[in-house]
Amino acid sequence: MLALNFAILKHFTKVDEADADSVMATLSDRYSGFRAFKKKAVIEALMTASENGILDETRFELDENEELRVYYKANEYGLDMIRKYIQGDV
Amino acid sequence: MSESSVSVDLNPKALQLRQSLSKSFFRKGITVAILSGICYGLYSAFLTAAMSKGIWADWYGDNLAGLSAFVIVYMLGALGSAVNDTSSAIWCLLIAASKGKLGDFFRSIKTKPGAVMIVCALFGGPIASTAYVVALQMAGSIVIPITALCPAIGAILGRILFKQELNGRMIVGVIVCVSASILIGSTGMGGDAPDGMLLGCLIALIAAFGWGIEGCIAGYGTTLIDFEIGITIRQTTSGLTNLIILIPLLSLIAGDISIAPQIIIGAVSSAPAMLFFAISGFFAVYAYSLWYKGNSMCGAPLGMACNGAYSFWGPFFCWLLLGVFMGQDGWMLQPKAWIAAVLMFVGICLIAFNPLELFRKKEAVQNVGA
Repeated sequence: MLALNFAILKHFTKVDEADADSVMATLSDRYSGFRAFKKKAVIEALMTASENGILDETRFELDENEELRVYYKANEYGLDMIRKYIQGDV
Repeated sequence: MSESSVSVDLNPKALQLRQSLSKSFFRKGITVAILSGICYGLYSAFLTAAMSKGIWADWYGDNLAGLSAFVIVYMLGALGSAVNDTSSAIWCLLIAASKGKLGDFFRSIKTKPGAVMIVCALFGGPIASTAYVVALQMAGSIVIPITALCPAIGAILGRILFKQELNGRMIVGVIVCVSASILIGSTGMGGDAPDGMLLGCLIALIAAFGWGIEGCIAGYGTTLIDFEIGITIRQTTSGLTNLIILIPLLSLIAGDISIAPQIIIGAVSSAPAMLFFAISGFFAVYAYSLWYKGNSMCGAPLGMACNGAYSFWGPFFCWLLLGVFMGQDGWMLQPKAWIAAVLMFVGICLIAFNPLELFRKKEAVQNVGA
């Protein structure tokens, strides 16, 4: 089992793009019991990864509940870094 | 992020929420980075206070224990750093446990990013922290602005190791910092200026290099690893390495291995000092963890520049705690030293970031989606 932050980033090696909600939906089976598994923390992790050049923001939109959803994808540098430094799976 | 590649939702509410998200993230990053500098100043002041209480008062004063000059100057500095970092590590573990991150700490420590953090801990802990405490003891709070050169050193190392930018503005910043160092070197402290001030200032440079290296490497590591787990790895590695390896090694150099257990037991059983070490360890948690977090949230140059404000906060809290509240002499800095500290801070800012970028970034945030 990976640390939560590693699992969030590792998810981007398996999908073309994702937002905080879809990351949480995918990881909830394994990580829903984690106290740190909160939407605010996941959004911050994604924005931090984007600030550091691992993820690129692709688009944003409002969902049916009028909540903002921001989507990201891993760029080439990010994919290389995640695969090289985060080994194993969720 | 490449803004041109972002698909923009033209819904005004979506634009407003996206803009608000960017603003709050940017504000939080700057706040966190500034807080790291304030915590650094508080950690410095309480650490210095701890090393003047209980058994430390005897070691640095009458010396009824009969410690040699080598032990007093070098080993006690390393011991102070070791006790502080171990206290800080205990706080880190408690905080990680309270936030449910203890499991992730053990999962992370075995990974490559975990190993990177351990390397950071060795540069920033046994090497830099010990040099810092020794320098603080030898020359007083005037060494704090010297160690504040670490962002500048980080920028230069970043250029060498990671091919990061080092332009004319940054070089001017280096010259400003060196000029400030010369000004500090020419300035005695108020009241009883320590005899070892010059050597203390040189030893402070070792700390600046250690933390500069740490800043580079940790910035790389915290793009992947949670900052609170990163700091827990750093402080546990640093505290244990200092206590188990560095202190015994220095004992051997001093010619008597029994000194190590003698001074470690003496330090941890000195209740008046340990109270202050508990407080300094607590502030050290946030001095370092918020430094990492600030760097990762608003970029290393801006994060390090905001953190570099500890060149003000260090002397300020030393003067406030040790000079004003505890009535110790020698903590009042002469005006020239304060001017040098301000000059050094300006130089660090010039190296770390272009002041115009602050306004550009704010403008960019305001214009998201425009």
